[in-house]
Amino acid sequence: METDKRVILICSGKGGVGKTTLTANLGISLARQGLTTAVLDADFGLRNLDLLLGLENRIVYTAQEVLEEECRLDQALVKHKQESNLSLLPAGNPRMLDWLKPDDMKRIVEMLKEQFNYVLIDCPAGVEDGFKNAMAASQEAIVVTNPEVSAVRDADRVIGLLNTNAIKPVQLVLNRVRPKMMANQEMLSIDDVTDILALPLLGLVLEDEQVIVSTNRGEPLTLNSVNSPAAKCYLNIAKRLQGEDIPLIDPIKESSGFGAKFRRLMQTKIF
Amino acid sequence: MNSNNQKIIINIEDSKYINWEIDLKNKLKMLKSKNLEIDSKNIDFSCTDISKIIAIAYQYNCKIIGFRSTSPKTIISSQSLGYKSEFIIESSSNNTSEINKKNLTFSKTQFHQGTVRSGEYLESLGDLLILGDVNPGAKVSAVGNIIIWGRLLGIAHAGCKGDFKATISALQLRPVQLRIAKKVARGPKEKPQLGIAELARIDSDEIIISPLETT
Ligand SMILES: Nc1ncnc2c1ncn2[C@@H]1O[C@H](COP(=O)(O)OP(=O)(O)OP(=O)(O)O)[C@@H](O)[C@H]1O
Ligand SMILES: [Mg+2]
Repeated sequence: METDKRVILICSGKGGVGKTTLTANLGISLARQGLTTAVLDADFGLRNLDLLLGLENRIVYTAQEVLEEECRLDQALVKHKQESNLSLLPAGNPRMLDWLKPDDMKRIVEMLKEQFNYVLIDCPAGVEDGFKNAMAASQEAIVVTNPEVSAVRDADRVIGLLNTNAIKPVQLVLNRVRPKMMANQEMLSIDDVTDILALPLLGLVLEDEQVIVSTNRGEPLTLNSVNSPAAKCYLNIAKRLQGEDIPLIDPIKESSGFGAKFRRLMQTKIF
Repeated sequence: MNSNNQKIIINIEDSKYINWEIDLKNKLKMLKSKNLEIDSKNIDFSCTDISKIIAIAYQYNCKIIGFRSTSPKTIISSQSLGYKSEFIIESSSNNTSEINKKNLTFSKTQFHQGTVRSGEYLESLGDLLILGDVNPGAKVSAVGNIIIWGRLLGIAHAGCKGDFKATISALQLRPVQLRIAKKVARGPKEKPQLGIAELARIDSDEIIISPLETT
């Protein structure tokens, strides 16, 4: 087994917490660092990774045709316009869910591993078959959650399943952090979350309107608006993933005025 | 090597013929080392017993730096007093048949290491010992007692076959819900006192929570 190849599942349990956004931005960031990266849309029911990457109109074949041997892998892969190191393998149609098995996912991922340094799998929400298929093909995982009780609860469930399936390492990304709300204890603190989930924190992503703007444009934030608060967070996550020792976001720079408060909110306890 | 830094492990025994206090004193008399780790085998020590051991050692100019034991109760007690504690799992191959007979209920003890996460469910036909947290959304139940060397934040049911003498103890007892036999109680609202292990039991038909030491 090649040790320098990494297959990373990006999952959450709860829906809408930011898996697809993270997959797209991480894909761009890693590609920009010169690493060949494939993003695999495993959310066959509600695919939208292609939308976020602005590649919807270039899709000809999908993972489905590859599995059915109606086309070669490289015919289905969609290369990103600006970042040529990044390719998307689109999800097939939702009916694939009826017959797709863990072994099918493994086959796809094995093929991708031959060509790419990184394979990022955008996992569907939930803990049902879609998640289980995607997990079967993964080596490590990033669990995305928001500082909300229900998201943390679902993340915990997913982490339990990842552990029993020997997925290692499992790291945490805390998305949609609002320093002001945390400081006022209107939101779970970072400690509250890491306390329960007991995972190494790969990074925080600040709440950022630019995320929504970029989603609608089909241009991940890290592609152009590298100075927006969330884009910096995504870039840092990509670097940490590669073992670079980058401290968690500097609150004074990222949201001026919050310095002292932000440091305090690392310690506030809500439950 | 300086003998002061040396760690010596002493075993203490308790039987019909010798009381553990005497055994401990006898062994301390013969020692020069200052730093000791106590291996208390399967003796159940309460927090009071542990404090007593510390005091005795002090009389002999010795310092206890940790405990090891096959008894969950001892481990919880020493851990809650802040001592390094190592839980030894009795491996069945070493067990003499005598020990097996003596610990019939102990042998049914289910042991789990690691966090019990949301949606997970652990069950035991005897006691249940968990080294790790029981998170919100997780459920644990046992025919006997439940001992959690960590935080209880989910749901625990001790004495699930009706034993109202069963207890639930944890380093932090802040469950959503507690059940002992047929009794159901909602977890307390107040913040836990840090560093004090707590125990829940039925007393005059109510589930009450008290520091582990008083029992
Ligand atoms: N840091 C952020 N700041 C602001 N908005 C965000 C942030 N992260 C994600 N969002 C928004 O949240 C919504 C959900 O994000 P996304 O689609 O990435 O989640 P998901 O986990 O993939 O959802 P699903 O479970 O449906 O696949 C999107 O509208 C996105 O723009
Ligand atoms: Mg998604």
